[in-house]
Amino acid sequence: MLTYEQTKEQAQKRRELTDRLKELIVERLDLDIEPELITDDQPIFGRGLGLDSIDALELFVAIEDEFNITVFDDNIEVFSSINKLADYIVENQEE
Amino acid sequence: MKTILSADQIRELIPHRWPFLLLDRVVALKPGKSGVGLKNVTVSEPFFEGHFPQESIMPGVLIVEALAQLTAVVYGTGALASIEGNDEMAATTEMVTIDLDIDIASRVGYLVAIKDMKFMKPVVPGDQVRLEVHIGRKFGMLSQVKVAAYVQRACVVRGALTVSERPEAY
Repeated sequence: MLTYEQTKEQAQKRRELTDRLKELIVERLDLDIEPELITDDQPIFGRGLGLDSIDALELFVAIEDEFNITVFDDNIEVFSSINKLADYIVENQEE
Repeated sequence: MKTILSADQIRELIPHRWPFLLLDRVVALKPGKSGVGLKNVTVSEPFFEGHFPQESIMPGVLIVEALAQLTAVVYGTGALASIEGNDEMAATTEMVTIDLDIDIASRVGYLVAIKDMKFMKPVVPGDQVRLEVHIGRKFGMLSQVKVAAYVQRACVVRGALTVSERPEAY
């Protein structure tokens, strides 16, 4: 079991990661919204943020650069929400 | 500079024709990766008639088009090389002419985005434009391409394109 302090620290780290992802999306894709307005489970593409496949390429390059991970085109579902993206980054950075 | 592909060979690789074929020669080529091409600009280009009647300037968007055409050549030869099963080997000119049964020109993809394009200097009649493209990262059917054009040593255009493969191709 994690102690209260450990849980708190983990939550904080997660928060930092999701906040950074939102900033990255807004910054790199020139979106006209505040990063805070993006929720963690909102779909990023299509109806969610209204991004398209051209934005996906841009975003994937940004994420590869920033987090030093590789995203392959067969795991596009990674981009379905901020949470999914954060999970993927955490999993693939640990290796 | 060595000619890697002549205008006639370029026509076999891409479907563009006069007055819209804006690539005269390819002088360096890494199939699927990068390429350097030449476009010689003369005063009798059809677009100078209207752009502009008193001042001949090659439209910046047509330089972008020339860069996109060179990108199509790099892509097409890359596809040819992978069909032949020798990805790393440079597609030789013989290969291009032999493989007419594979109609690579009909498979040219589309331009999907133009990013951060800068036009530094006007291109005028008499200029030889050196076009350079480097294909970058790929995701699904899309690829980013870094492009630049030079007249003598001066950079005239610089930016990035995103291109798409044809959905059914390759």
